[in-house]
Amino acid sequence: MPTATDTRKTIRAVNAVTVLLLCAAIASCPSLRAQTPPANSTASPLYKEVIDEAGRTVRVPQPVQRIVSLAPSLTETIYALGLQDRLVGDTDYCDYPPDAQKKTKVGGAINPSLEQIVALRPDLVLVTKSLNLIETVNALDHLGISSYGTDPHNVREIISSTERLAGVLGVPEAGTAIGADLERHLADLQQRLNGLPSRRVLFIVWSDPLISVGKHTFIADAMRLAGASSIVDSEQDWPQMSLEEVVRLQPDFLVFAASHSEAGQNDFDVLAERPGWRGLDAVRNRRFAVISDAVNRPAPRIVSAIEDLAHQLHPEAFAAHPDDEKKIAPPPPPQTSVRPLNSASHVPALSEVCTCAL
Amino acid sequence: MRPLTLGRLLTHCALLSAVLFVVVVIALKLGAVPVSLYGLGHDLLRVLFRQASQLSSEYQLIIFDIRLPRILLAIFVGASLSVAGASFQALLRNPLADPYVLGVSSGAAVGAIIALIVEPHLSLAPAVAALLTPVGAFLGAALTVTAVYFLGLRRGQIDSATLLLAGIISASFLQAIIMFFMSTLTGGNYRGIAFWMMGELQTPPPRIVSLILRIGFFLAAGVIYTTASDLNLLLAGENEAMHLGVDVRRVRLVVYIAASLLTGLAVSVSGAIGYVGLLVPHVMRLLFGSDHRILLPTAAFGGAIAVVVADTLARTVVSPAELPVGAMTAIAGAPLFLYLMRRRLA
Amino acid sequence: MSSYARSASALRPSGDAGDFNSDVRLSVEQVSYAYSANPTQAPLFTLEATSFQARPGEIVAILGPNACGKSTLLKLIAGALHPLSGRVLLNGFITHTLPHRARGQRIAMVQQESPLLFPSRAWEFVLQGRHPYGRTLRFESEEDITIVRNALAQVGAEHLSDRFMDQISGGEKQRVILARALAQQPLLLLLDEPTLHLDIGAQVDLLETLRRLAAANRYTVVVVTHELNLAGQYADQVALLQKGKCLRVGPPATVFQRELLEQVFQTPLTVELGSSGRPRVSMPSEK
Repeated sequence: MPTATDTRKTIRAVNAVTVLLLCAAIASCPSLRAQTPPANSTASPLYKEVIDEAGRTVRVPQPVQRIVSLAPSLTETIYALGLQDRLVGDTDYCDYPPDAQKKTKVGGAINPSLEQIVALRPDLVLVTKSLNLIETVNALDHLGISSYGTDPHNVREIISSTERLAGVLGVPEAGTAIGADLERHLADLQQRLNGLPSRRVLFIVWSDPLISVGKHTFIADAMRLAGASSIVDSEQDWPQMSLEEVVRLQPDFLVFAASHSEAGQNDFDVLAERPGWRGLDAVRNRRFAVISDAVNRPAPRIVSAIEDLAHQLHPEAFAAHPDDEKKIAPPPPPQTSVRPLNSASHVPALSEVCTCAL
Repeated sequence: MRPLTLGRLLTHCALLSAVLFVVVVIALKLGAVPVSLYGLGHDLLRVLFRQASQLSSEYQLIIFDIRLPRILLAIFVGASLSVAGASFQALLRNPLADPYVLGVSSGAAVGAIIALIVEPHLSLAPAVAALLTPVGAFLGAALTVTAVYFLGLRRGQIDSATLLLAGIISASFLQAIIMFFMSTLTGGNYRGIAFWMMGELQTPPPRIVSLILRIGFFLAAGVIYTTASDLNLLLAGENEAMHLGVDVRRVRLVVYIAASLLTGLAVSVSGAIGYVGLLVPHVMRLLFGSDHRILLPTAAFGGAIAVVVADTLARTVVSPAELPVGAMTAIAGAPLFLYLMRRRLA
Repeated sequence: MSSYARSASALRPSGDAGDFNSDVRLSVEQVSYAYSANPTQAPLFTLEATSFQARPGEIVAILGPNACGKSTLLKLIAGALHPLSGRVLLNGFITHTLPHRARGQRIAMVQQESPLLFPSRAWEFVLQGRHPYGRTLRFESEEDITIVRNALAQVGAEHLSDRFMDQISGGEKQRVILARALAQQPLLLLLDEPTLHLDIGAQVDLLETLRRLAAANRYTVVVVTHELNLAGQYADQVALLQKGKCLRVGPPATVFQRELLEQVFQTPLTVELGSSGRPRVSMPSEK
């Protein structure tokens, strides 16, 4: 026979179930957003469909007035194409040319702020497959913002990528002009280096642990065009090397990329002090080259870094040429490859606590 | 003598939901793009009354398509992890248990990595491809949970100590596999994994995944809640619980499955956000007592609040760049853990 | 005294009306058990067929040296273990086939407690005894609170009600554990070595309480112990076990035979009959 407590319990149970159902309803309700497309509602939008270098079909609004770049190389390319006025946002790491640092920042390349990108109302966001995350691209898609991706694997593809991007952005003539110029520089370089033996080099990305570049990277390709060949024969993009292996291969030169030559020299000196590195001829004879960190970015500026490297590795190929071509961007002062032995004025970064195994 | 009553439970829940509401409003206000509270209230009303087209579209996008879904995701992930954590602490009779102690997060990570490896070889529509990572993560979690269950059986029954050992060993083993993958795989798609493993809410999951997360939460947490009294007794001892009328075997199995489901769902969408499942139950115990009938709901609210706060901090402290949420919870969680530890010892 | 009677009636076992006469309540019929770690190996331990009966209000002591099967027999009675053969009947129900809730309402076990993970207060602890009567998701009712109060009063632990379980003495804890068992309103009260960590005063106190409760609330009490004299003094029946075999069951006077005891406990003993008819065992005095 139901008592008062029983009735109270039933009422409570019914209330609980109601609350639960309410929660379930809230949980499953779709986004509150009205289903209007987020286009700038002033003019009727025109679109061009292109296929980007990652194979995705991209709807590019015409014309492209507002661009956000999510990679330093793409920012540089924008400037090279003369479109910097249309660049409304870039990443924290976009530092070249110096004017790029004044643009509105949207965060890192890997972790940009979606909100900030949306707030800038871009027509197109530029990404590159080697740096940006597919999740970012998907998120932007989801919000109705188009992104165009580049994916160059060697220097020739960097040039063609620039031309394609110029076409997408509506300035194909600028793209062709830059492409032709870069090709000319490369052709001239090939001519000078013709017949000269290529130098065996180790490109050092990081010294501890020792990381170099794989043979499929554009950096390795850049080495090749500069008359060098990377001694690292790896399928990985950033292979970790053992010092023993490097000593066995004995590269002719070590190559560093640095923002300025002082830093590059410092890198070498620090490295030379480390245990085991004296086993390398290149270290003992101070045969190293420092080039600008433009070599790390798949942008037009890489060609000037290639030329710079060629100068340092094959100085004989550049002697007595009256018409030194105008370079795209002034390179850092070239570092001569052989230096007097008593110039070390540094404090060793590490003390040698272990005896060299070699 | 003050026994727990429904009235007290509802009062505490109402209090916590008020706190959650305030936190959500603040979270909506803060971000890389500032928003005024008055404007926000106004616009919310407009949306409710179907006048959304009057809002500027970027604003709409930011609030309703980026921030609000993210906050809702944080709420459900936080609630799931806390309830799972409290359940595992009771199931394993161990105050150091957290939702990942049985290897769920490592299994999910391996599943996600495998999904990323496999994806380019299958030509899938983009909508389906986006589902691959969460599904892969969930499958990885489910397989791990099943394996650990069978490893943790002793004479045909779940044994807390064996289960714990099996979980820890599986987690280490899977971590080794992850390290192997991360050092040998190259290419753009795998870089996201590192962030994912730290726990991040930045990537909005596909809508159906969000729906499954929410419904799954209510289902699994509800099921666990029906065993709340049994869990109280289980903590007193398994033998004692059995003699007091608890079907220990059934309760253990039900809680194991439901708590693993909660963890698997949360981890599939957000990676392994740490410290929430471990600490929120302890804090709630300090505030509201160990009775699971009040602990479970308050832990759910507490977890939601914690993750929303952490996520808001993660996207504002180094704005416009974003930190992974897991970093925030660890920074706050570790000192809090020390404090709680010393309090127990004092 | 009237409140005592009232509290006593509140603790009277519920359900199964019709046992207020002296009919048999507990019937252990040819119960045997075997345990082996590995199904293919020979059993490490066996309990041979054992039988006895008990009425409401009776105290049965299961006596024997260590590792003779006392605890196993108790668990079989509780229905926690399935017997290899035979059965245990409680008011006609086979104990190991009872559903969990029903079993919790009829059989209460008092044993050494696992250490508490999150210590609770004494009243919360005793409240756990009401668990078999609740449905899922219920909160305790006024009736439950009253029963808890009465249970604590019955064991003389009312003053401990708000204290934390990890802050009271062993004897006090034992009383609270007993109160929890009482809160279950059981028919059968089982105790596994309840006097282990108690001093002689507390031991006597506990047995006195058990006798009083068994009489007032008509419990059937089964106590596992190796304390010969406590069993002799308070039990209505004694079952003497040795190495898994039940040697004799009966009133203490018939079980406490010198030769039998010496054989079981492997030491010279003397048995004297006290004025109440109860035997007293002691070690022989030096000659």
